[in-house]
Amino acid sequence: MSLLAPWALWFGFVAPLIVGLYLLKIRRQQELVPALEFWMRLAGPAPVRSLFQRLKRWLSLLLWLAIVACLLLALGNPVITAGSIKPQSIAIILDNSASMQTQETDHGDQTRFELARKEIERITKFRPVRDEWLLINAARRPQVMQPWTRDRNAIREALQDVAPHRGSSDLRSAAALANQLLSGKVDPLIVVISDGAHGAVESLVQDSQNVAFVRVGNTQDNLGITDIRVRMHPQMTAHHVYLSVSNSSDQDIESQVTFELDRNVVEVRPFSAKARSEWRHTLTLQAPEGGVLSARIERPDALAIDNQAFAVLEPVRAAHILLVSPEEQAYFFEQSLLAMGPLVDQARSRTVSLEEYELLADAERSADLVIFNGVKPTVLPALGAFLFVNSWTSDVPASTIGELTMPSLSIAKRDHPLTQYLNLGGVTIARAHEVDLREPAVVLASSQNGSPMIFLFSRPDQQFLCLAFDVLDSDLPFRNAFPILLRNAVAYFMTQGHAWVKDQYTIGDTIRSLRPLPSNISSIKFARMGGESISEESALVEQNEFAVDATSEVGVLRFALNDEFAYAAVNLASYDETMIAVSEQKLGESHLSLSTGLGGMTPWLALSAIATLLIAGEWLTYHFRWTE
Amino acid sequence: MAELFDKQYLKKLEYLELIARRMVFGQQQALRPSLRKGASIEFKDYREYSPGDDPRAVDWSVYARLGEMVVKLYRQEQELDLWVLLDSSASMAFGEPSKFDHARKIAAALAYIGMANMDSASVLPFAHELLEGRDHLRGRSRVFHLLDYLRELKGTGQTDLIATTRKFVSRVRRPGMVVIISDFYGLELAQRALDQLRFFRHEIYVIQVATPWELDPPIRGELRLVDLETSGHEDLTITDSMLRRYRQAFEKFSADLKRYAMRYSIGYARAETNVPFDTFLVDVLQRGGLVA
Repeated sequence: MSLLAPWALWFGFVAPLIVGLYLLKIRRQQELVPALEFWMRLAGPAPVRSLFQRLKRWLSLLLWLAIVACLLLALGNPVITAGSIKPQSIAIILDNSASMQTQETDHGDQTRFELARKEIERITKFRPVRDEWLLINAARRPQVMQPWTRDRNAIREALQDVAPHRGSSDLRSAAALANQLLSGKVDPLIVVISDGAHGAVESLVQDSQNVAFVRVGNTQDNLGITDIRVRMHPQMTAHHVYLSVSNSSDQDIESQVTFELDRNVVEVRPFSAKARSEWRHTLTLQAPEGGVLSARIERPDALAIDNQAFAVLEPVRAAHILLVSPEEQAYFFEQSLLAMGPLVDQARSRTVSLEEYELLADAERSADLVIFNGVKPTVLPALGAFLFVNSWTSDVPASTIGELTMPSLSIAKRDHPLTQYLNLGGVTIARAHEVDLREPAVVLASSQNGSPMIFLFSRPDQQFLCLAFDVLDSDLPFRNAFPILLRNAVAYFMTQGHAWVKDQYTIGDTIRSLRPLPSNISSIKFARMGGESISEESALVEQNEFAVDATSEVGVLRFALNDEFAYAAVNLASYDETMIAVSEQKLGESHLSLSTGLGGMTPWLALSAIATLLIAGEWLTYHFRWTE
Repeated sequence: MAELFDKQYLKKLEYLELIARRMVFGQQQALRPSLRKGASIEFKDYREYSPGDDPRAVDWSVYARLGEMVVKLYRQEQELDLWVLLDSSASMAFGEPSKFDHARKIAAALAYIGMANMDSASVLPFAHELLEGRDHLRGRSRVFHLLDYLRELKGTGQTDLIATTRKFVSRVRRPGMVVIISDFYGLELAQRALDQLRFFRHEIYVIQVATPWELDPPIRGELRLVDLETSGHEDLTITDSMLRRYRQAFEKFSADLKRYAMRYSIGYARAETNVPFDTFLVDVLQRGGLVA
C-alpha cells in the first residue's frame, strides 16, 4: 500500500494530541462527597480492578486512535496494489457488439453491455493516479466518444451517451484507431472491455503488448440464427431457403424453428443442435408471388436478437429475352437461352435481325434483356437492360482504342453475381477490342494488359453489359462458361439487376441504392414492416442515390420508388455474435494496474466509512457505558 | 454566627416551649410535668401513708371519712435536661453552606430555647467520640458563651456514633432529652447507638442534616469521588442511571431512619441546608413535635 497524498501524515500530530486529551480526560475531576461508602454501594463491589475493566478504560482511547488512523489514511488516499502505479494514457475500447446484449443471469439479467459500462466506471474509479483517458465505442465503426481527457468523470458521462448496438463490432479497427490516437503518448495502454466472444480479442492482445483485456460475462446459453439465404431454383420453380442455427452452449439443445411466409406459418421444424456446433436446414418453398419469410427459434435464451431472422423472396417471373443478331451468328445464344428452361419466357422471347428490330414499335423493343450480338441499333429504348457483344452504341461510355490479339481472359471481380460459377480460364480469343472506359464501370473480366473485356455500366434507366470480343472469334461458345455467363446475365437483370437494394443486410449496414435512381426521384419512402401498422420515413436522394441507416434492428424494410416496392431484410446473422461463450483465458490483465478496493469501495472511501462506523461505535460504547 | 440570632429572632423563640414526649425526672422542679409524683398544685393520686412521709401531704378529710391515712400525690414538675449531640465530623463540613454550619445554628437555637425556659441545655460535639462541650447551661446569659464555643468549633475526624453514645450514657445517668444532629451516614451503626440511648430511657430526637447536593447531586461523568472523612477516593463514572439509583438510595436511607424513629417513638426531622434554620425550627420541627 502506498499513499498518493503522503502530506496527510503530517496531521498525525493529532494522535498525541488525542492521547494527551485522553490522559487529561482520565485524570478525573475530584468531587468531595460526605460518604464515599454510600456511592461505592451503588457502583458495585470492584469497579476498576479487573483486566476487563482496565481494558474498558482504554477502549475509548484505542477507538479514537483507530478513528484518527483511518481518517489520516483516508486523507492520504491510499493505494493498495501489488506494485507501483504510474500515470498512463489509457484508451478504453468498449465492445458494443450484439453479443454484448447478452443477458447475464448471474448479474440480475443485466446485459454484458451494462456490465461493461460498470467495469469502465470501476477501472476509472480504481486507477489511483491521474491518467489521461480516451473512450472509443467499438460498434459497426469505431467512434471516439470522449477525446483525451484527464477528467475521469468525463469518461463516465460519455458512457451514458453510448447506445447499445445490435450488430457486429469492429474491434480491430477500434484498436487501430486507438493506436493512432495513442501515438506520441507516454505509457500508452489500450483497455478492451469486451466479452471476447469467439476469440475476437485474443488476436488483438497477441498482436500488441499494450493491450489489456477486461472480460465481462460468462453466460453461454444461446441458440441463434447465424445465416439465412434465399435463392431461386435453377428452373425458377421454387425458392430454396438456407438456414443455419448455431449452438453456443456446451450442451446439446433441442428446439424448433418456425418459418412464416407473410406471417403465415409454412413450416415448424424441430431440431437438435449439438454443443458448440451448427444445425443447417434447407427449406424449399413454392412461393411464386414471393413474400417476406421469417424464421424464429422458439426458445428463450440469453441473447434474443438472433432468435429471429428474415428473408425476402422475390416473385418468380420468366425473363423476356430479345436477341438481335444476324441469323447465322445466333445459334449459340439461342441454344443457351433455350437451355435455361423456365428462366426464360420461351413464348415471348425471340430472335430478330437488326433490320427487323429497327422496324419494331417502341413497346415491342422493350424486354427484360436485349442482346445485341455484333450489331448496333440506331436508337436504344430509354429503359432496359442490354447485352452488347463485340460492338456497342454511343450510349455506352466506352471507346475502342485498338485491337488485342489473342488476349487472355481473367475474371477481375469474382464476387459479382455476373461472375458466379464462371470459369474463364483457358478461353481462347483470337482478337478483341482494346477498350477505354470513359466513365466508371464494373470491370468483370479483363485481358492480361488490363483492358476491360467484360464490363458493366449502370444508369438510372439503362444497364449495359458489354463483351469486348466476338464470341465466334473465341472458343467461349464451346465452353460451359458461355451458357453460365448468359444465365448469370439473365438472372442478374431479372433480379439484382432490377433490384434497387440487396435482399439481405446485417445490422448496422447502410442501405444504399444498388443502381442510380431516375433523376425525377428526389426522395424515397421506406418503412419498417412489423406489427399491425407501418410507419413510413423518408430519405433524400442525392446524385441519384440514397442511403438509409435504419438498420439497427432485425426486420424487413420496404422501400417505395414511384410505384415500385423493394424489400430488404436486416438480420444479425453473425456466427461470431451468436457464439457468446467467452474465453476464460486472462489476456493482458497485468498491463492494467488497479488499486484494490475495500468492500467494493475505493480505499479512502472505505476508510472514511470505517472511521464513521468507529465514531458511531465509540459513541454507543460511551453512551451505554461499555467504556469509561 | 452570633449575628444570626438577633433579638427579634430570640424573642420569637421564647414563645416556643420545648415539650417532651415522655415525662422525665429532673433534679429541679421546673415547668415540665413529670411522671414522678411530687410537690406541685396539680393533684395526681392517692397512696397509703408510709412512715417518713410528709405529714402535710396527708389528706385529712379522707382520714375523717374513712379512717385511713392516705397521702395526696401531686404531679411533680422537674427540670428538663436537654442534650444536643452535634456531629462535628469532617463529613459535616460538606456543602455550601455546610451541614456543620447549619447544624451549629440549629444546635445553638435549641440550646437557647432550652436555656430561655430555665432548663439546662448542653451541647456536646462528637466525631470519633464524644467531645467536651458546654453542658448544663442555664439562663440566657450563658447563650453567648455557648455561641462563642460553637463558633470556634471545627468539624474534623470520622464519625463513631456508637463510641459517642457509649461515652454519653456512661456520663449522663439521668434520662433526658437527647437531640442528635448528624447526617447519620452508616445508618446501621447509628441505629445501634440510638438503641443504647433508648435503653437508658432518654427521649431522643434525631435531626438529619442534608444538603441539596446530597438530595440531587449535580454531577455527571468521569469523577474521582473523595471521602471528606477518610480522604479515600474512588474513580467512578456517574451516569444518569447511577444518579437515579443514588436518589432512590438516599431517599430509602432517610426513610429507613425515619421508620426506625417512628417504631421507637423517636422524633425525626430532616434539616435541609437550603431551608433557613429558623424556618426549619418554626415549621418543620413544630410539625415533628419537637417544638410546641
